Amino acid sequence: MSPIVNWIGLWTLVKREVGRFFAVYRQTILPSLISSALYILIFGFTLQQRISEIGGVPYTLFIIPGLIMMNTLTNASANTSSSMLQMKLLQQLPDILTAPLSSVEISLAYIIGGTVRGLVNGVLVLLLGVILLDMPIQQPVMTLIFIFLVSWAFSSMGLLLGQIADSWDQLAMMQNFFLTPLSFLGGIFYSVKMLPEWAQTLSFVNPIYYMINGIRHTTLGFSDSSPTVSFLMALLLTILFTVLAMILMHSGKKIKQ
Amino acid sequence: MSVPAIHIQGLTKSYDTVQALKGVDITIEEGQFFGLLGPNGAGKTTTINILTGLVLREQGITEIFGRDTVKDYRFTRSQVGIAGQELSVDWFFPIEKLLYFQAGYYGIPKRKARPRVEELLHRLGLSDKRKSRLRQLSGGMKRRYQLAKSLVHDPKILILDEPTAGVDVELRHELWHYLREMHQQGKTILLTTHYIEEAEMLCDRVAIINDGKVITEGTPKELTRRLGRAGITVHLAGWRDDLPDLLRNFTYTHEDGRIHFTVRDPEGEMPEIISTLARHGCHILSVETAKSSLEDVFLSLTGKGINEA
Ligand SMILES: Nc1ncnc2c1ncn2[C@@H]1O[C@H](COP(=O)(O)OP(=O)(O)OP(=O)(O)O)[C@@H](O)[C@H]1O
Ligand SMILES: [Mg+2]
Repeated sequence: MSPIVNWIGLWTLVKREVGRFFAVYRQTILPSLISSALYILIFGFTLQQRISEIGGVPYTLFIIPGLIMMNTLTNASANTSSSMLQMKLLQQLPDILTAPLSSVEISLAYIIGGTVRGLVNGVLVLLLGVILLDMPIQQPVMTLIFIFLVSWAFSSMGLLLGQIADSWDQLAMMQNFFLTPLSFLGGIFYSVKMLPEWAQTLSFVNPIYYMINGIRHTTLGFSDSSPTVSFLMALLLTILFTVLAMILMHSGKKIKQ
Repeated sequence: MSVPAIHIQGLTKSYDTVQALKGVDITIEEGQFFGLLGPNGAGKTTTINILTGLVLREQGITEIFGRDTVKDYRFTRSQVGIAGQELSVDWFFPIEKLLYFQAGYYGIPKRKARPRVEELLHRLGLSDKRKSRLRQLSGGMKRRYQLAKSLVHDPKILILDEPTAGVDVELRHELWHYLREMHQQGKTILLTTHYIEEAEMLCDRVAIINDGKVITEGTPKELTRRLGRAGITVHLAGWRDDLPDLLRNFTYTHEDGRIHFTVRDPEGEMPEIISTLARHGCHILSVETAKSSLEDVFLSLTGKGINEA
């Protein structure tokens, strides 16, 4: 009678989530391209005078993996968190919650939507690096897998935050006080080896540090953290946030009274 | 008797400080047009939202066609179409696309949903608005869209939370007409409303809910007969001191020559009143009867009108 998985429902919700951000690509895709290009121009070409190279690559090239990660994870988390909050505030959530969709299906659809956005943004910035700076990609498959994992992890985190948040203010606070600082401190623009010892130690508890160094390794071939640790860290975050987001969704605590 | 379409028993629910439901019992047979009538804050929306999975159930039974709405949600939700009290907003998609999404959530692919979506757009007068976004529609159009949305998957049960709130008289009548049609096609309908007239016109069964409890239930006719305060007003040329004795078998109030009789059945009791008065030589100037409505039922049960705060 009732199917075990509502595939059409799941697929419909994925289409909706993906369609939603493509419909406003000027706000969801172009900005990371523009800001990345600006970072490359301004930071790259001006700082290049002082820091000519790190780890044997030109400074402009050094910062690209970090930019890829930053855009990937910001976009992935922004998609799910804003979509969830918006649906809450605009009374759209009832349509989904009263349909024969399981909490796992609903969570998956949101997460896939955010993952696609993270992936699209990450890959576009990667291409920007390839086109503008002839960036090498030493392990193309691992690079894509890495961008995918990070997209998924932060998309799930966004879904968690979107359920918890009651206002745009709270979401912006998360973004401005946690995600952006952690990204910058994760070593987009520097190698942690350039930091004093205490600051290096502090970097090790910053998960984004591993994300940035992971992809730096798959593209440029070197990184501060070990590639295995980076990969495991990405996997761990993916599983952790997926499970947490789904548990909260299933409990209905923040979306049903 | 077959299994009821909707069965709610002993349903309770508390929000932080308020107990919104204090043990609600409602049973709706398949094919019934059921009205849930109650003032603001009575618990109508809470009841419906628990039934449809929007609000977490606390205690009690909620079943659709005999299946638990929590354990068997895939089945129960597929049987129900809902038009909520709050209108939703969407910036991104045209309403036609939203209807296809809605069908998709219920497992119906676009190709299969097309005839139904076309029919609903046409029938509810939204065909030329199909490419519009929700925010570009008028309030009445939004209500119609909402009804279309609740019907895309052709559910057996329709749950409507104040479907005609805030629409003009003309559209209200159109919607009534459409709902009657749905009912004639065999759909079971649960409707909440503040409009007594709406319940009297549409519903074949009504429950009155107040302060988290169903206080009475029956057909509108039954209720008005049982609990209404119909009246007969007789206007005499003047009051006479022997009248209290003559009328000792009736319930009445008077203001000089105007006597208001409270009766259950105005048509049935009128002859006796008139003949009693005439027999004793009272000069009757006029007689009026006032039919009881559910509003009176409401008043007599709760001590206040349905739209009084
Ligand atoms: N999310 C909520 N948080 C706290 N209290 C709530 C919430 N929703 C409803 N209530 C309270 O529960 C009670 C019942 O509300 P409900 O919305 O079910 O009433 P209603 O009969 O639908 O009223 P109305 O006719 O105004 O729509 C009210 O006292 C209301 O204040
Ligand atoms: Mg209500």
